[in-house]
Amino acid sequence: MAHHIEGSRNSCALHGALQVIEAIEGVVPVIHSTAGCGVQHFLGVNRLNAGSDRFGGPPVSNSNISEKHVVFGGSSRLREQLKNTVKIVEGDLYVIVTGCSTEMVGDDIPAMTKEGRDQDFQVIYANTPGFRGDVHQGYQLAVKALIEQLPALGKGEQSSVEGLVNIWGIVPHQDPFWAGNLEEIGRLLEGIGLKPNLLFGYDQGLSSWNRVPNAALNIVVSVWGDSPAMLLEERYGTPVLKLEGLPVGSAAGRFLQTVSDRLNLDLTHTENFIKSEEKRLNTYLASLADTYYRAGFQREFAFVGESSQVAGLSEFLTGTLGLIPRTLIITDNPPEYAREALLSRLTGLVEGYSTEVVFSEDHAEIIDQVRSGAAELVLGSALEEQVALALGVPFLQLSFPLSDKVVLSRGYSGYRGAAALLEDLGSAILSN
Amino acid sequence: MSEKHGKHIAIYGKGGIGKSTTTSNISAALAEAGYKVIQIGCDPKSDSTTILRGGNDLPTVLDTLREQSKVKIEDVSAVGFGGVLCIEAGGPVPGVGCAGRGINAAVELLQELNLFEEYKPDFVLYDVLGDVVCGGFAVPIRDGIADRAFVVTSSDFMAIFAANNLFKAINKYAPSGGARLGGVIANSIQAPYAKSLIDDFTQQTGTSVVGYVPRSFTVAQSELFGQTVIEAAPKSEQADVYRNLARFIDEHQDSVIPHPLNGPELKKWARTWGDRIFEVETGVVQKMESI
Repeated sequence: MAHHIEGSRNSCALHGALQVIEAIEGVVPVIHSTAGCGVQHFLGVNRLNAGSDRFGGPPVSNSNISEKHVVFGGSSRLREQLKNTVKIVEGDLYVIVTGCSTEMVGDDIPAMTKEGRDQDFQVIYANTPGFRGDVHQGYQLAVKALIEQLPALGKGEQSSVEGLVNIWGIVPHQDPFWAGNLEEIGRLLEGIGLKPNLLFGYDQGLSSWNRVPNAALNIVVSVWGDSPAMLLEERYGTPVLKLEGLPVGSAAGRFLQTVSDRLNLDLTHTENFIKSEEKRLNTYLASLADTYYRAGFQREFAFVGESSQVAGLSEFLTGTLGLIPRTLIITDNPPEYAREALLSRLTGLVEGYSTEVVFSEDHAEIIDQVRSGAAELVLGSALEEQVALALGVPFLQLSFPLSDKVVLSRGYSGYRGAAALLEDLGSAILSN
Repeated sequence: MSEKHGKHIAIYGKGGIGKSTTTSNISAALAEAGYKVIQIGCDPKSDSTTILRGGNDLPTVLDTLREQSKVKIEDVSAVGFGGVLCIEAGGPVPGVGCAGRGINAAVELLQELNLFEEYKPDFVLYDVLGDVVCGGFAVPIRDGIADRAFVVTSSDFMAIFAANNLFKAINKYAPSGGARLGGVIANSIQAPYAKSLIDDFTQQTGTSVVGYVPRSFTVAQSELFGQTVIEAAPKSEQADVYRNLARFIDEHQDSVIPHPLNGPELKKWARTWGDRIFEVETGVVQKMESI
């Protein structure tokens, strides 16, 4: 049944694609749409995250089509825009991303891309009208375009890289801690002797993307990584490992063990690495014990965020830290097949305790759920601040959009992420 | 839109059914009767007003808009037979752009240029592309641009199908101030059953036929001369047929909201006519309507 959505935190497919492109070094987006699409991306996404990307603001290239281009077709405007962009913005790759109006009109984007390539521009395209879906759909569309079209540019590395592992499903900016989360997962994989291909963030450029087909394993962190992993399995026969959310704390240890099993790595080496990581985290946990009891960390909490965040972080908060999941609200609209698994996993996180698990992106419904759940701690986005204030309980911003913190390399995944989460959560409780 | 000048009539129908010929002849007949008429072709083919203008070239609104930022009415209009002001909305080249949005933009521009306020027409006729393929082509019947719509159809099923589709569009927009249906113009009447079939269709849909236009050699001949029948053969019977249609449009203000048939209903209805036609062809005699 149709229903209204108030204050959605999910932007459109075009913005998801832009978030992908802007997170890859040397890749330049060229928007083919009306002017508002680029501005909206800046206002709606980048401004709500501390630290905007290279093209995340007004400087993004956009064909800014007008009515004339809708009536007569906007291909020639795009041709001109592409030529000018190549002159003005230096890049290793240019990606044309389309908005609703140009897709409705049916501009021939593949033909324009081919024209660009005939002039030796390194250019690919992704059809990303907002009406195709939300920001997560945009992530999938842009990633698919890169996987499918990069080999045709003939820059792929043929030599295989031993132990190369791709990581999928972390949507840049939609997970505000995407960079830190990826770096930590990378650090852990390196720790067991693998070569992680993070694909987004610092030092991740076209060469990382050209290596994608050579990976030994595709690791899927959220349901949004399913489609790229399936595409790569189809094309290159690369096996897939699906995680049940971000691996935090001891879940990271289990994750490393599974990867070792799948890739026949030296298990002793892996176990030793996990042991050292566990020891380090346990030391921090022990240091916290006093404050934990004094400030009464063990509380019922409400968590509002993306499926991979809610699943991964809640497990750590309950399993390791002993908190009680009162209300878990998943905002990224995971497909039906993924919902059942999430439900059965999350409702029974604490034995004998029934956790309310809700799928919603409607702000009004989310607020109602958090309020009626009357949790003693609220984890969510800036949008949940008011309800936390009304409840008079500690509040920690950790899902999109954020308004009260600068995030550069901080993350909540892995062992270091677990320690960071302890710090932030503790600070939120103490400052309340 | 502010104060309305003249009666605004939209004429729809399947492509190739004779909309432009019918519209142009009605325009010519209205002009002949002393009225000030504007005919606006809303079709990327931009040949609606050809036979009013003796086949001369006329730059379309959209082509002109593409080439120059400021467009004047003089740039995009020509005075045709009987003083009919001819305008072609035009559109993109096939396969590119959005013709529907083009119609929208062209009609908007004509309003911005105060065409109707300045020219003060008695009648404005919109000749709109074949079928209602998307929202853009429904513009003339939306937002109170046209008061009434007429549908041109033959007895061919596809033409009836297109007419039924237009009924759906009118049915959708009329309650919120869109145009209502003035009636059906039965064109190319030749087969013995054609009249009965179209009559039956209008009965089924709560509409009525406002004129029967027989298939005519005179029309074909006049068109080849680049003229309307009113101009080329003013004394012909066919010219009177168009004059009667024009008179009807002038004198009758009645309009209805049609009740289109849904998919299965339309198919079922068509099948019954398949049987009837077969019986006519094979000589089965029943109490048939006008056969």
